[in-house]
Amino acid sequence: MQNSVKKIKKSSGTMQKRESRLGILLILPTVILIGAVIIYPIIYNIILSFQKVALNPNRPSKFIGLENYTKLFADPTFYKSLGVTIAYVVVTVLGSTLVGLLVALLMNRQFKGRRVARSLMLMSYVAPMVATVYVWKYMFNGLYGVMNYLTVDILHIFEEAPMWMDHPVYSVLLVILYDIWRVFPYAFLMILAALQSVDESLYEAAQMDGASAWHRFWAITFPELLPSIAAIISLRTIWNFYKFDDIYLFTKQVPVLGVYLYQTAFATHNNGGAAAITIVLFVIVFAFVILFGRKAVRK
Amino acid sequence: MKQKKKAMSVLHYVLVILVLVVTLFPFYIMITTAFKTSEAAVAFPPQIIPKDTTLQHFKDVLNPEIFPFGRYFLNSFKIAFTTAAIAIVIGGMAAYSLARLVFPGRIVFKESTLIVYMFSGILLVVPLFKIMSSIGLNDSMWAVVIANLVSTLPAAIYMLSGYFETIPASLEEAAMIDGLSRFQVIYKIILPLSVPAISSAFIYVFMIAWNDFLFSFTFLSSQSKLTLAVGLKQLFGSMDYVWGRMMAAALLTAIPVIITFSAVEKFISGGLTAGGEKG
Repeated sequence: MQNSVKKIKKSSGTMQKRESRLGILLILPTVILIGAVIIYPIIYNIILSFQKVALNPNRPSKFIGLENYTKLFADPTFYKSLGVTIAYVVVTVLGSTLVGLLVALLMNRQFKGRRVARSLMLMSYVAPMVATVYVWKYMFNGLYGVMNYLTVDILHIFEEAPMWMDHPVYSVLLVILYDIWRVFPYAFLMILAALQSVDESLYEAAQMDGASAWHRFWAITFPELLPSIAAIISLRTIWNFYKFDDIYLFTKQVPVLGVYLYQTAFATHNNGGAAAITIVLFVIVFAFVILFGRKAVRK
Repeated sequence: MKQKKKAMSVLHYVLVILVLVVTLFPFYIMITTAFKTSEAAVAFPPQIIPKDTTLQHFKDVLNPEIFPFGRYFLNSFKIAFTTAAIAIVIGGMAAYSLARLVFPGRIVFKESTLIVYMFSGILLVVPLFKIMSSIGLNDSMWAVVIANLVSTLPAAIYMLSGYFETIPASLEEAAMIDGLSRFQVIYKIILPLSVPAISSAFIYVFMIAWNDFLFSFTFLSSQSKLTLAVGLKQLFGSMDYVWGRMMAAALLTAIPVIITFSAVEKFISGGLTAGGEKG
């Protein structure tokens, strides 16, 4: 025993080297995979964005310089799409985070059935997106949808049923409501975890000082939650800026950049143009991360 | 004072129930519509409590001549299982490396999660599609597996390295003094200890891959290779779509993930909050 300890000490230099080599060896597959599936496509994409890509894969693509970009920046649909995307991102990110915060505050106390309630509240986030989108489409159907029955005939919010999937404004509202419903559990879980790690003694001290619940929230709870909230906001902003699938399945009326990009690539088969949109989209998100996200997520 | 407390508690329950109603209402509609007759599904005012029920929609969805549910289910399962298996092996190795071993560049890797998220989903679709076609992987489940790996690997690594860090290092040191190699330590000590963490990471990745729509929709084209998510869209797009059938299929697609999630929810919610979800 004594001997082997000595041996280990003696060989600790080579051992460290071996450990370091093993460390690199073990992480190598991940690096190769991420490199192959992220870095290579991005470089490839930059090249594509300067080309007029031939439809026939056997014919060469032509280098056209910045033409894809100048065309994109001259296209009014692009600006409309950008505006819709920004509105969608701002409302959904703030909305889902706020709902998540409120529900987390609601669930941050002991009561009977809490565990079951918590699990059930995650359902919208766990279930497959496609399955839930179609129930929503059914619920918001203009003829027999239950939501129109509730909002028109029971609650009298609307005079007549809005065309949720076809009206340019209501369809935006619909995809926003859906996204908040679907992803608020993510904010809820993260904020609940942060709430449960707040030091109880802080509250006790504040209570003795006679601080009201409202005051305690802003003075103690909120500052403790701020790092988590900032992280949620930055991640959700990235994800929703790239939003495609549920909006695409819902309606043709909400031309966010993700849908615009997909249509350019696979409906108009303009791969060079789509590549240029990809780069612009990435630059916007990258700028956001540099300005806001890096600080927030490092925590 | 006591009365006020009681009133607060009642109000609290009312609010919790309100949140539950809003969250679960679409699922309620999904389930009831799956059992309604086709006439009842389009009745107005809607039958919130179904009156005319039938099992026909489930029979239809499971009838291969109407909807190849079994095949799509199998395809989804193969893709999700393969993605999860690869993510756990590769991600587990990386996670151990980040948690335990000291090597140059370690910090950079640890902080690069956000960068990977910046390249997710729609951003990769165009170049990956071109690349997959050029290497002949178009319309192959492997294209979907590879694309899904990117969006799940960071989360798998995060969950697993977080767990490995909680295993006391002294345990491994002691074993190495006893003459075990690092490899034997991983194999004989770390792996058996990590079964719960590994299974929850596995199920988490499985869930994301099972729920994926974008990649399978983009990369797969032959009918025989489609996944449930894409199959559902087709069911809706066909001329004679029937709401009950749609909802029965949606329900059968959702049930496997909901069951597996409930089984490991305790372990997994930590991972959900760890970041690493797509869409």
